Amino acid sequence: MSKAKANSPDGTYWVDLMGAVTHQRDRESFMRIYDHFAPRVRLYLVGLGLPDAVAEELAQEALLRLWERSALYDASRGALSTWLFRIARNLHVDRLRREPNWVVLEDDSEHSDGFEDNRSPGPERLAEQAQLESRIDLLSAVQARLIRMSYFEAKTHQEIAGELDMPLGTVKSHLRRAFLQLQKGIQQNQ
Amino acid sequence: MTPRHHLNEATLVSLAAGALSAEMAAVAATHLLECEHCRDLLEDAECIGGVLLGRQQQAHASAETHQRLRLDMLNRLSDLSQSGASAAGARQTAEVPADPDELPRPLQPYFGRSWSGLRWKWAAPGLHIVRAAHPGNDTLILLKVASGKAMPVHGHQGTELTQVLKGSYDDALGHFGPGDVADLDNDIQHQPVASSGVPCICVAALDAPLSFPGWLARKLQPLVQL
Repeated sequence: MSKAKANSPDGTYWVDLMGAVTHQRDRESFMRIYDHFAPRVRLYLVGLGLPDAVAEELAQEALLRLWERSALYDASRGALSTWLFRIARNLHVDRLRREPNWVVLEDDSEHSDGFEDNRSPGPERLAEQAQLESRIDLLSAVQARLIRMSYFEAKTHQEIAGELDMPLGTVKSHLRRAFLQLQKGIQQNQ
Repeated sequence: MTPRHHLNEATLVSLAAGALSAEMAAVAATHLLECEHCRDLLEDAECIGGVLLGRQQQAHASAETHQRLRLDMLNRLSDLSQSGASAAGARQTAEVPADPDELPRPLQPYFGRSWSGLRWKWAAPGLHIVRAAHPGNDTLILLKVASGKAMPVHGHQGTELTQVLKGSYDDALGHFGPGDVADLDNDIQHQPVASSGVPCICVAALDAPLSFPGWLARKLQPLVQL
């Protein structure tokens, strides 16, 4: 597969690779996923404030979990990047809380209660993903800043309010509106 | 039964981003157990996280670092296959019968496994509480309000997240029954009144001390340590 395809928003590339990982335990396919996502997971974790060595270790663990639990990935439920983000976030949160008994959000793509998925599956979800990417670019400067502080710095609303000298209610309504804007890019076909 | 009062989307963003305190996340996770609407929104918020993750500019880590880590990854895969581990199968769908005495799972690290194990402490007429074991910086409490009773009037300087577990209450924002969550800001003063019939039991996380304007409530506050 060419490098150009690897960086394209075409989600079927990752879906195909995951299929090979799950059904043939194909390491070649897995390492293509690794080469693209591992540096990004490391960068994400470093941005959250982790030392390089810890970020490296957690990123390795995240990709290893992706390999071990690949059969749980359901492409019709969402993008690979969503699942990997969830895994990485859970590893970070678990480590912060340092308590194996803390209940964490499920990091596989299935809901623990087995509820029906009413979302449109398959190709439509991939198109929605592309919509989402362009909508991120359309956020206002303030919205983009708050989204970055939430996702890339894991700052609470209170921390954001304090840092930006902004009322708490304003932080919440900016984030709410940013989310609703972006969500239109996910739910286009609903 | 579908809840009618939901988490604020801004709270869901924080939850997806790992930006809620453990106490707030515990209350939010309890709500999610009951609320497909919010679970769907959480997935959307995590989808945003995934896109942001993928869009980052490639780190300037040296090719050497990446090669080293790549090799380490391949070694780990080898170790796994040598140990005979195989791809995790589909989730077990073993049906475990629901135990009515079991507390919601996200609350168990703080309050124990069972309702019957809770040690309620008197806080005010018609009000009993249980404080969380080893909480972090935020407050996490279970509240039991006798039917027909009101919580002392209070406002709060930060964020309050309250999930109704049993019974129901009414306040200026509406009727809140089991499964509903009140996701409130510092500009709200409210006086929840438990509906008649059964006690109203809620779990609440707060990131700032409650303030009780009334003179009686002010007397109670240091006793209750809310």
